[in-house]
Amino acid sequence: MTPIAAPFPSDRWFADLAHRAGADPAAMERLGIAELRIGFEMVGDGGGSWLFGLVFDGYDVDAVTGAEVSGFVPEVVVSGPLSAWEEMVRSIEANGRADAGHTLNTLSITGVPFTVRSADAMGQDKLYRYMGTIQAVLDAAGAEPVAVAGR
Amino acid sequence: MTLGLDLDYLDRSSRGEFDLGWLRNGRSEWGVRAKPGKTGLTLRDIAIGTYGAVPDHAPRRSMAPRGSDIDPDVPDLGYTINDKAEVWSDNVLDLYEEAVSRQWSATRDIPWRDLPDLDPDLEHAMCQLATVLSEVEMVAADFPAKWLWRINHDFVEAKMFLCTQVMDEARHTEVFRKRALANGGGLGRASAVVERFLQLILDAESYDEGSALMHLLGEGIVLSLFRAGEFLAPSPVETQIFRLCMQDEARHVAYGTMHLRYRLDRDPSVAEDFHAYLDKGEEIIAMIFATPEIVEPTAILAAGGVAQAAELGTAAGEVMRHQIIGDYLKRCEHAGLDRRGRLHLPDVLIEGVPGAMPEPVAS
Repeated sequence: MTPIAAPFPSDRWFADLAHRAGADPAAMERLGIAELRIGFEMVGDGGGSWLFGLVFDGYDVDAVTGAEVSGFVPEVVVSGPLSAWEEMVRSIEANGRADAGHTLNTLSITGVPFTVRSADAMGQDKLYRYMGTIQAVLDAAGAEPVAVAGR
Repeated sequence: MTLGLDLDYLDRSSRGEFDLGWLRNGRSEWGVRAKPGKTGLTLRDIAIGTYGAVPDHAPRRSMAPRGSDIDPDVPDLGYTINDKAEVWSDNVLDLYEEAVSRQWSATRDIPWRDLPDLDPDLEHAMCQLATVLSEVEMVAADFPAKWLWRINHDFVEAKMFLCTQVMDEARHTEVFRKRALANGGGLGRASAVVERFLQLILDAESYDEGSALMHLLGEGIVLSLFRAGEFLAPSPVETQIFRLCMQDEARHVAYGTMHLRYRLDRDPSVAEDFHAYLDKGEEIIAMIFATPEIVEPTAILAAGGVAQAAELGTAAGEVMRHQIIGDYLKRCEHAGLDRRGRLHLPDVLIEGVPGAMPEPVAS
């Protein structure tokens, strides 16, 4: 396994994650259409927090980076301590994919360590509708990067 | 008018006189050219011009495609749902596309060969849960199928979405039946309480009533159960089953929630009818929360065994109950139907769920 080189968490890490996932378009098409703006909120020990975002658009996924961040309005946000996010990513890197104890669903289902918030029920239900796709993209952090021409 | 054999046309056609002349002066939009988007040519891409205009009330009751030039002598096919608000939701075109693109196979996409031998208690519990799910999922195919032929063809996108639901639910029934039979356990017991809830859905006197009971209440509960699947699953095989089913179920709930919202937006006076439907449904759901065929396998699977079930299983059951009721209240609120404080569930089930208990009356 080759971990994403950029530090976690960072805009660059999420951009590389989206690039890895999107580099296998057949796999993304097999997962099916998804339409979602999801935020990943990481809360530090001191109470500060950082928001990162992914946008699923049809079969594509893109990270929210740079100037887009300030205008990003996620439909659903998964929030939790930075240490729990780091543990999730390390699990994915170590196993090639999230193990049973470190999937996004497992970590968020009881409200500990991750909570889910959304402006309305539809945002939350979209998390359920696309859980397999979101997890597959997160699991790309543990997969060998796909060689892409020109990169 | 009585339709008869057109001998004159038969004569002309036998001479090869074909020129489509009868099609020249139609009302269709000649030159319309829908453009595919990035995922292909979607229903939204073809909802253009008059073809995209869905009437609030269908002007006739035929199967003629909406937007086509319709022979005035088409027969009345007897559709009983002729108002758009009775079946429509603003997300139905997108949900159809999503459903078609996210289909999966219970034969191919589940790693059946990886099923491990389980402790007999866990196998029993998993098979019992699979029995219940195999039972309840089919009603979500039977109900739309029962109403499909009554829905006017002008609302064809909604009909098409319901067709995807029928297929989804057939697959859910299939996958849970296969799970029960794949690892030595076999089918468990079907309970009368569960069947009573299914009967309530099937016997609904209107699509409104059945949809509220099924899409919003019943499938909402099952969705929460599927979501908890990663806790309940004794192996990665069941994890995959629950995750794939969850995604389908959430689509159905998204239709039900947005359909109710569309319905209430157009006619707020029907809100009390919907409250009454859900009152009845919740009364049976309360009994389901006390049905051993569901409660015990769920607790044992969540705890990882019978010995741990008393403590861990009970705690997991409480978390699930809170999530089921909390999510249900949020969906009702989003649809425009505030059920907070008027749930027909006993206090013991709703204590601790934000917004579930009636507000104390100020003295």
